[in-house]
Amino acid sequence: MTDYKTLTCAEVSVGDTLEAVDIDITTGLVVCGALATRDFEPVHHSKAEAQATGLPDVFMNILTSQGLMTRYATDWSGPEAFVNSIDLKLGAPNLPGMVMTMTGEVTAVDASTGRVDITVLGENNIWGMHMQGTVQLTLPQEA
Amino acid sequence: MNADEQKVFEEKIYAFVGQEVYPPTPAPDDVNLPMIRQWAEVIGETNPAYLDPAWAASSKRGKTIAPPAMMYVWGQEGFQVTRGRAPNAQSNLVAMFNDYGFTGVLGTNVKQEYFKEVSPGDNITIQMVIDNISERKTTSRGTGYFFETLSTFTDQNGEVVGTQRFKVLKFIPQELPAAAAADDNALEVPTRIASPRGHDNGWWWEACDEGKVLIQRCKDCQTLRHPPRPMCGQCQSMAWDSIESTLEGEVLSYTALRHPKIPGYPKDPICAVIQLAEGTNIVSNIVDCEYDDVFIGMKLKGKVEQVDDKTMLPQFYPA
Amino acid sequence: MVANIKDKAVIVGVANTEFSKNSGVSELSLAAQAVKGAIDDAGLKPSDIDGFATFTMDSNDEIEVARAVGCGDMTFWGRSHYGGGAATGSLHQAVMAVATGMAECVAVYRALNGRSGHRFSDGVSGDIMTADAIHWGWYMPYGLLTPASWVAMFTQRWMHNTGVTRDALFEVAHSTRQYALNNPNAFFYQRNFDRAEYDAARMIADPLQLFDCCQESDGGSCVIVTTPERARDLRQPGVSVRGIAQAAAADQEQMTSFYREEFAAIPEMEIAAKNCFEMSGLTVDDIDAAVIYDAFSPIVLWQLEAWGFCGFGESGDFVLDGALRPDGRLPTNTHGGQLSEAYIHGVNGIVEATRLVRGQSRNQPEKDVNHALVTSGVGIPTGGALLGKLD
Repeated sequence: MTDYKTLTCAEVSVGDTLEAVDIDITTGLVVCGALATRDFEPVHHSKAEAQATGLPDVFMNILTSQGLMTRYATDWSGPEAFVNSIDLKLGAPNLPGMVMTMTGEVTAVDASTGRVDITVLGENNIWGMHMQGTVQLTLPQEA
Repeated sequence: MNADEQKVFEEKIYAFVGQEVYPPTPAPDDVNLPMIRQWAEVIGETNPAYLDPAWAASSKRGKTIAPPAMMYVWGQEGFQVTRGRAPNAQSNLVAMFNDYGFTGVLGTNVKQEYFKEVSPGDNITIQMVIDNISERKTTSRGTGYFFETLSTFTDQNGEVVGTQRFKVLKFIPQELPAAAAADDNALEVPTRIASPRGHDNGWWWEACDEGKVLIQRCKDCQTLRHPPRPMCGQCQSMAWDSIESTLEGEVLSYTALRHPKIPGYPKDPICAVIQLAEGTNIVSNIVDCEYDDVFIGMKLKGKVEQVDDKTMLPQFYPA
Repeated sequence: MVANIKDKAVIVGVANTEFSKNSGVSELSLAAQAVKGAIDDAGLKPSDIDGFATFTMDSNDEIEVARAVGCGDMTFWGRSHYGGGAATGSLHQAVMAVATGMAECVAVYRALNGRSGHRFSDGVSGDIMTADAIHWGWYMPYGLLTPASWVAMFTQRWMHNTGVTRDALFEVAHSTRQYALNNPNAFFYQRNFDRAEYDAARMIADPLQLFDCCQESDGGSCVIVTTPERARDLRQPGVSVRGIAQAAAADQEQMTSFYREEFAAIPEMEIAAKNCFEMSGLTVDDIDAAVIYDAFSPIVLWQLEAWGFCGFGESGDFVLDGALRPDGRLPTNTHGGQLSEAYIHGVNGIVEATRLVRGQSRNQPEKDVNHALVTSGVGIPTGGALLGKLD
């Protein structure tokens, strides 16, 4: 019944790139992402509060960004991958109306442990780098 | 702040290192499928390990798990934060920074490590401490200090399932927040940087706006020239007209701009020097083609297109 | 006909400031420090300086530098245009002033916060409303915005025409880095890279990768030029300007001479070379060491060909034979170059070329250096100078 393929460690090489994914940043994604991560900080759902901090509109909370980045990695790897870590440097905020493009490249593969480092970048089309860093997965040794 | 004042201040803030922000606090709800499903819908997550109990049961794990990125979600304070948070070591530290003018705040790094997957029915306890505070740093945002909280997540058996390190810069803003306060204008989507238009080149760009690529021609000796100039370099005539290019061309050289990324431009745009069939050269983009498939001598066919909200440009396709 | 001002002007003092990525001081401070350092090196007093030469691109007014350093009256100032093309161009201004008697001691300086302030890698943009803006307008809308991208366009075609490969680009970058390992003022002091790291480095604009590109630096450099008579009384061995030239060739554009019959070439540098040799009476065989402008690794190769160290398309083999190394035919960029010491728009190169002739380089070749070449930027109106020992 498994239609879902998971990459094995042997199928992955340093230099492999992940297909870029565009995420439309909408008010819905920002606000609902905040609520789905139980982040009720007003700057993520109230435009007035966000503007008081100097930004034009509500902005995406970090937990949503982390969710998008892990989704990006595991969409590539398949569902049997174990997520070891997600290590992100935070950059410019994501605001409604922007498009964030996520890209990734395999930068380390440890065949003995199955651990794979994916360097990831989420860049929006207006302010540039939103987040960049590394997602580390453990891939199965065999299918 | 003079050196003595700074010393007193730093003694005060460094006293926070090691203090608990949250003592071990169990999440109000166990890990549960409804919250996972809601999260997954918003994030666009379709991973059956989280969402498809039947698949999960047959997987190597043998059970459904929660998305690791939800680790911090389970213990979040609820809606009451909109009315303010109860004071704790972190808010006290932040208040102290604010009192001394370090009012700027910027989350700079967040790292989550996961040691054990959790499943519906597990209960996550969070404990958070102020782990470290940097020395005084000069950053592009202003002078300030980085502080880092360390959260440790344990399950109902006391087993550590993961940790989170969150680094925050508290800094003296270089301009007052009021001055930076935004208005209600919609964000302007950046576009290509346009050429300024003057006497000698404006007509060319106006024709481009109309969908045509023109080549300047000397009215006396008929020599073509591009980019436009006010005088013919061959016969010094200042009389000129123009012809419209057929936009048939050939690649003389090319590159792709990988770094830095420039807002308003496509990723890694391919630029080329193209010799037009009329004989003059033009710089433009090659589109609808992978970089690796471009070569010197490649035949191209161009057309003038709208490339963004404001810009008409010739763009060249493999012929 | 080439004006003969051979040996009419002598470099007597040189200095660099500390080079960094964040100087924490103004560009004027860097300029003042560099000028003062060169005055001290020469054994002159600030009041001896009566002329200044720098780049049109430099933000430091001559009179501000003069006031900061405490120089007195001034009878000459002159600037040279076209970015790094002004490296020996500003020296050219100073040499002409001294040779004609318009000034006696001219300070040639360049100081910039090239990393912490305006960065060249940010590229040109519609924000600059200079006379150049219309020129850049033919390239900006397509994304051809940065110095790397313009040089990449030439490199791609030149490699296609000559068959020179990345091996040669690596050799330029790597030989230069080896010199920097020894130079405490180099940004990459004691920090090496190997071929695997070179190949794995970030692509900037195909085919140029990170280590093919110079740094962006904060810092200042200065050389002092005076008459041969005065030079003989000063502290340091004099370094005479045997030949010097500026040159732009037909159909020149600034960094984008894409409209020539064959644009993968630098005819302007060939003119500079011919005129320098003619003025000096020297030939290529007389040149013992060189500081060749290295904003990007491939441009060193083109200049080796333009100056006649090898034929067109042969520079790859020339450098792969070890020519640029300490015991090679032409030890080059012995300070670490702009790739690995600092990017001070080539004036740190004039400092190094002077030191080579004095015998004071950190990486002084074992052979006698009687004559050193120093060049300006490539792809733009440019120039070069031949330096030799003051008789």
